[in-house]
Order: sequence, then structure tokens, then C-alpha cells
Amino acid sequence: MDTPDSVCRARPLLGTFVEIRCAGATRLAAERAIDAAFAAIAKVHRQMSFHDSDSDVGRLNREACKRSVEVDPWTYNVLEAALELQRQSAGVFDIAVAPALQKLGLLLPDSGDSENGPIETATSDAIELLAGNRVRFHHSATRIDLGGIAKGFAVDRAIEVLREQNQRHGLVNAGGDLAAFGAAAEIVHIRDPRFPHMALCELAIINAALASSGPLLDPFESFDCLGSSTVNPATQEPTTEIVGATVRASSCTIADALTKVVMIIGERAAAILSKYRASALLVRASGEVFMTPGWQDGMRAPA
Amino acid sequence: MTDWIRWTAPAAALISISAPAYAVQYMSAAEAQRAAFPSANLTQVEAGRVWKTSTGGIFVLDHVIGKHLYIDYAVSIEGGRVRRVDILAYRESYGGEVRSPSWLSQFVGKTGASPLKVGSDIRNISGATLSSMHVTEGVKKVLAAYGHTR
Repeated sequence: MDTPDSVCRARPLLGTFVEIRCAGATRLAAERAIDAAFAAIAKVHRQMSFHDSDSDVGRLNREACKRSVEVDPWTYNVLEAALELQRQSAGVFDIAVAPALQKLGLLLPDSGDSENGPIETATSDAIELLAGNRVRFHHSATRIDLGGIAKGFAVDRAIEVLREQNQRHGLVNAGGDLAAFGAAAEIVHIRDPRFPHMALCELAIINAALASSGPLLDPFESFDCLGSSTVNPATQEPTTEIVGATVRASSCTIADALTKVVMIIGERAAAILSKYRASALLVRASGEVFMTPGWQDGMRAPA
Repeated sequence: MTDWIRWTAPAAALISISAPAYAVQYMSAAEAQRAAFPSANLTQVEAGRVWKTSTGGIFVLDHVIGKHLYIDYAVSIEGGRVRRVDILAYRESYGGEVRSPSWLSQFVGKTGASPLKVGSDIRNISGATLSSMHVTEGVKKVLAAYGHTR
């Protein structure tokens, strides 16, 4: 929703473009709220980056298999949410797939890694959360990547900041992982994973979050999709049967993580979706589109 | 367990996101300067591209242009470090017109206060994961070129 006092800004963060829009008492108040919300996202970016060796994730991957490592409370919160989702999904959601992502070129290799050596893998079962925001890995091969959940978490933190700053309505969109609050609905277009310049449908979002997983897309180079960015922990291979999944939930952290579950197990994700009161849309490689009954609330198909 | 509903989208009625264009103007260059250096006087060093403050701050306007994407952005540098990066305009187009001067000229002079009409009914998009790598590389080049400007 646009009003004369609403402000919209965008910055490159979390590997994508993050857009924040809000409206408060004055334009100046909205601009200040947006700056504070971007600061929250920048903090998540800094602490949870896989490639930055000084981030919490970098320190955990380097040291947590030798000794317990203290992390930022936000990183600890994300790890708690990730391990709970791993339990609820019987291991389908797994933040310890980093070695497989590295092998597939979706993450850069560690410095000093041999190029074609066999990859040793461990699951999230080896991760122990200790008191005092400390974390210990009980397997020397454990490497985590929070790319499947941290973007959603960053959106939730930014929304929290906008609310604390008394904004009437707010929207945070981190490259398609988004959340909105306020009286008016935000209309979101869902990109077709097979034809990314087209939208499959529109969805009205009111006080809710939405996240998508699908092909990597770089419109700078082309509109051809670069394949799936989701890896199945059971096979260590990228998903191929499902080419796109979008999940609506009350929190973007949950929506973000559940898109990976839907990408991997498709229709069998119905139970965990209903447990988290989430709804979903998925597109199979065959072109078939499926949705949960709850998805249709707020959906507008092209006329 | 709830049953999934198979949905048959009417193919002819799919909504086009980026033909002719999906475009958003976030800030004008002047707005970006005020946001980055609220109380400083900026002196132009390179016409339309580089400004500096009396306290050593640097403000650089730059753009990256690809096959289907054109992005205007601003980099604010202080003490040889990037302090903030703002996207000024984002333009995505399917037809490949991005490199044509006449296509780009329709956006000239727009400010954050006068939103673009092109694609203005599409505000929020979710779907494939968009990479911001080209802007990140652009920022590195800007820092290397102007990080130590005095």
C-alpha cells in the first residue's frame, strides 16, 4: 500500500536485493525505521555468512568440532529453529548439507580443500546446543550453511524493528522471502519457476510471511534458470522433480525452511505444513502445479 | 493428511512480469546523497559520478548493466571502507531492450517521489532466487577506484 508518507528503499544484502517499505507518522520516521531494519538484516548477513570466516557460521565450521563456540543469540535462535525443523521433518530439513552444496558449486570450497576428494558428510544430529549460546559439533565433518533459513530469519527481525518503530504498515522482501504487516493486503506475484519473466498467480498477504525456493536466476545474464539450489540430504543431490515451491506461514523463518522441505519431498510435506499452519504451492518439472487447500485464501489467478 | 489440489493455470492468461519491464525507482541521486551524508556539503569531483565531503567521505554513483537487468546504485565510502550501498533503480526487462538508449531514456529524470508507471501494478515478487553478485562486484571496483580519494 502506498501513501504519501510511505518510503521504499533497497540494498544488496544476503546475496540478493532486500527491499523495505513502510509508513509511520512522518517520512523521516519511516526513513529512520528503514535504516534500523537494514541494520538488523546486515547483522544477520554478517553473523550467518558461510563465506566470511569471521562470521558465527565461519567460526563454527572451523572450531566447533574441536571445542564449544559461543555465538550471537540470534545465531543461536536460528540453530534452535533449524534443529527443531530437522526433528519435525525427520531429517529432510538439514543445515549440515554444506559439503554437498560445495561439491555442487553452490558454495565455494574451504581454502585448502583438495579439489576432487570424496566428501565426508555428517547430519545435524552431530550439532549440540549448550547453555550460554554455546555450540559444539560432535563430528569432524560437520559443516553448516544457514542459507536455507537465515534469509527468512532476517526478514522477521527487520519486521520486528519496523513494528518497534511504530510503523503503520511494513513490508520486507529479501529476494522473494518476504513478510508484511498492517491493515492493507500486499499483493505478491509468484514467479513461474520455468518461465521466470512470467507470474503463475497473485497472492494477497496480510500479516503473514511468504518464501520461495526454486531455480537460481540471474537476469543480468539471461532468463534461463540455472537449476535447483536445494539439495536432498538423503541423496546429497539437487532436487529435480520439483522445480519451485512457495510457502505461506506466520513467520518467514518457518516459511523459508519449509520451502526446502516441499522442494525435497513434495506432496508428502502436507503433514509438516499443517503442523506449522502453513500453506504451499509447488510446481513439478512436468509442469503440473499443486497447492494445499489453504493456499487458495487470498489467491488470485490471472483472469 | 490434507489432499493437494492440482491447479491448471490458463496458460494464455499468465501475467507477464518483465515484458516490457519490471522497474522500481527507489531514490534519486540527491536523496541518496542526503541519506548517506545527512549534514555534509558534497563537492563534485567527477561530473555526475563522484562527490566528496569535507571530512573525507566519498559518494559514488554507478550502474551495472546486463542482458535483462539495469541497476543504478550509490556507494558511500568513509575511511577507505564501504559504509552503505543503496539501490537507486532496478529495471528488469525480458525483451533485451535494457541496452537500448531509447528504452533507458524513458526512466531519465524520474525520482523516488515520482514512481515509474512501467510495471507499477507489480510491487512484490517471490520465486526464483535473484543474485546480487554483479552489484557486489561493482561495489568492490568502486572501492578499489575511489576508496582512497582525497
